[in-house]
Amino acid sequence: MTTALHEFPTVPTPGQTLRAARRARVHAVLSGGLTAALGTVGVALGLSVIFGGPRELRVGWLLPLVGVQLNLDALGGLFVAVTGAVSAAVGIYTVGYARREHLARFPLTVLPLFVAAMMLVPAAGSVTTFLLTWELMAAASLVLVLSEHHRAEVRSAGVFYAVMTQLGFAAILLALVLLSAAGGGDSFDTISASSGDIPSGTRTAIFLLTLLGFGSKAGLLPLHAWLPRAHPEAPSPVSALMSAAMVNMGIYGIIRFDLDILGQGHPSPHWWGLTLMIFGAVSAVFGVLQASVATDLKRLLAYSTTENMGLITLALGAAALLSSYGAMAVAALAMTAALLLILSHAAFKTLAFLAAGSVLAATGLRDLDKLGGLARRMPGTTVMFGIAALGASGLPLGAGFVGEWLLLQSLIHSPHDDTTLLMLVMPLSVGAVALTTGLGIAAMVKAFGVGFLARPRSAAAEAAREAPASMLTGMGLAAAACTVSAVAPVLFGPLLERVLTALPTLGGEAAGPMLGAYLRLPGVTGSIAPGLIAVALVVAVLLALALARWGGRHRPAAVQAPLWACGADSLSPRMQYTATSFAEPLQRVFDNVLRPETDVEVTHYAESQYLVEKVTYRTLQADPVEQRLYTPVVRAVTAWAQYVRRAHPGSVHLYLAYGAIGLLVVLVVAR
Amino acid sequence: MTQAIYNGVLNLAAGAFLLAAVLVVWRREVRAIVRLLAWQGLALAAIPLAEGIYQDDAALIAVGVVVLLLRAVALPLLLARAVGTEAHERRESTPLVNTTTSLLITAALTVLAYAVTRPVIALDPSPATRAVPAAFAVILIAVFVMVSRRQAVSQAVGFMMLDNGIAATAFLITSGVPLIVELGASLDVLFAVLVLGLLTGHMRATFGGTDLDQLRELRG
Repeated sequence: MTTALHEFPTVPTPGQTLRAARRARVHAVLSGGLTAALGTVGVALGLSVIFGGPRELRVGWLLPLVGVQLNLDALGGLFVAVTGAVSAAVGIYTVGYARREHLARFPLTVLPLFVAAMMLVPAAGSVTTFLLTWELMAAASLVLVLSEHHRAEVRSAGVFYAVMTQLGFAAILLALVLLSAAGGGDSFDTISASSGDIPSGTRTAIFLLTLLGFGSKAGLLPLHAWLPRAHPEAPSPVSALMSAAMVNMGIYGIIRFDLDILGQGHPSPHWWGLTLMIFGAVSAVFGVLQASVATDLKRLLAYSTTENMGLITLALGAAALLSSYGAMAVAALAMTAALLLILSHAAFKTLAFLAAGSVLAATGLRDLDKLGGLARRMPGTTVMFGIAALGASGLPLGAGFVGEWLLLQSLIHSPHDDTTLLMLVMPLSVGAVALTTGLGIAAMVKAFGVGFLARPRSAAAEAAREAPASMLTGMGLAAAACTVSAVAPVLFGPLLERVLTALPTLGGEAAGPMLGAYLRLPGVTGSIAPGLIAVALVVAVLLALALARWGGRHRPAAVQAPLWACGADSLSPRMQYTATSFAEPLQRVFDNVLRPETDVEVTHYAESQYLVEKVTYRTLQADPVEQRLYTPVVRAVTAWAQYVRRAHPGSVHLYLAYGAIGLLVVLVVAR
Repeated sequence: MTQAIYNGVLNLAAGAFLLAAVLVVWRREVRAIVRLLAWQGLALAAIPLAEGIYQDDAALIAVGVVVLLLRAVALPLLLARAVGTEAHERRESTPLVNTTTSLLITAALTVLAYAVTRPVIALDPSPATRAVPAAFAVILIAVFVMVSRRQAVSQAVGFMMLDNGIAATAFLITSGVPLIVELGASLDVLFAVLVLGLLTGHMRATFGGTDLDQLRELRG
């Protein structure tokens, strides 16, 4: 049916084409402009709430019986501001992208709606409002994922996403219904005031259910399977919004319900923090491993999202665990790390997906093995992706560095004189974070080096053109945010301090780290000055350039000569390292975890079996967790569905009779 | 209008309403069924008209007029246009349930309707609410018609009867539905009939008939 609606084989006249093009431009500008404007409003609103105090809005008529209740406090304000900043960059980018990629009118209409819904989620002040906005966000994002629904992969990803997000919603619904029943009210204020009276069994149930629901939105293991499917198949601005802003809502949910509302009654038990840390660490390591062997650029970025959400959850867990042991100063450090990681991840992931989108728009390729040589053809995009990759790899002067450094400091400096648990957990976590960072560097070097440098590996990559100005402007905004969080986190200092003060259960009262020009950590020996590192680097580079120029005066003149090709006739671009070959050693080392399906086929010449005609190497990297965990579940559901199918023979009369009998039974029973 | 006349008109209307439904079950000729639907619409319109005149409520009379025009005139005309010209389409030839059994089931459903609406009447006994069981019986009979008929047009008539029954129940229980609500509901039904007419045409073009049992193969 969809194909019938979409492929009318009519040949438009030139006038029609021109008019259609003008209309498409108007749509793109309208949708992108509205998205960017909403984003700007979000940033302004978030900042005004963080610095000016909470705001409240009640719309009684909008929902029957309960009404819509919006309460924006400092924590919600931070998430609104982050979402707004991402949307502003994405909105500007969309103006150019929609025209280049011919985005349809429907997704362009839903885009601002999606952004608005995302900004309403952290503003919700009651259980009903939260559920409403959450579902609005989920439905809007599903529509956007299905933008290019004429492709089968998109439809399959859409089904996957729809099922996972609705299951997650069911878990959240159940948890919040329990919470509001036990807390004696609908509004969050009422519930937090009486959260001390909630029995511990209910608290445990709420914690586990919210972890399930919000964890699936944040893409934590083992509920991450929708992420590497939906993010690559969605249009790139949508991927950026989902990956940089929407997944944060999962983290927001965990902070809001488990650590803030439930934490105000009792301090959370030790095992809550521990559970969060375990989920976080496993997600981080698994995500980065998959990212380092992925060859699809957007799939790689999607797995990197799982990795970063894992790190953030690890930091949250550390904060919860440390505060449950009373180590408030270090807990505040871990919490600051989590918030900073959210900020920096939003910045570099937006940029990375937007840059990947402009590569996709220019070449039609996502496969790293076919890209390459873009540095000359798309210099602007290359620089942008470079900044994003540096941020994602967690190296100094990258956006993610300061957050990861703070996280490591909080893990290293946790007090563990008398508690065996902390003594065991913290060093292990340090190991997990270090492994994650190391593999993250490999993944990003691969993405940047293979995708953008060297020679083009396909004709499409060779014909690439630079992205238009609006796309570069959108990416430029995100790049500026990356640079700020890398070099001058001092600008985020007052902001994070305010948010932290609003979270008393997580060491909000204790003095947090001072994010000055020098980062100082109170009560802990350790300081760093990312700004100074940057200045030193710039000075060193300038010095090296000057020295090289000075020394170059005495060098003989350059001579043009043929390249040494190891005795072969000529070098072809196929002889370069590819993404697959770059990741091959890693794949070998982590064979037990990744379980790739590889197949080597050697064909000999007919005349002699000692001479090889060709060697074929095939590898398929599937997601082992998905295969082990999801396949049996899907099979069981299908088997059960066979029983249900027996009641569905296809007769309309029988279906009507089911309804009639049901009606009669209800009538007789209800009277 | 005196109390006695009002009671009489109301009971007569409710009785005619139920009788039309029973006759629909009895008849097999599709055109006759559509004509019966028009009579039922007339009986339905009499309810708000009688109440409007009795209570001196202009809005209720307006509702009655709208109902009359739509359900006694417009919808039956639209449905009559959808009836095919072929002999096998103008008659329900091979019924899923034979006529005698159908009438017995109708009787049983009417008794059931009287039984289950007793609490509703007990809430506020008045001439209007005492007629509710008749309207309710029409709802159940309409569902039965939809279950047991093969032709698409008969199905549509069943659907119309279902909606008539719901409207009558609403009129009788609330003694007057706001104009805007009735307008909305009527518009819905009008669209439903237009779509049904269109689909019937499509079915005829595709399968050469409008027997619903030919739709078995459409499952996914």
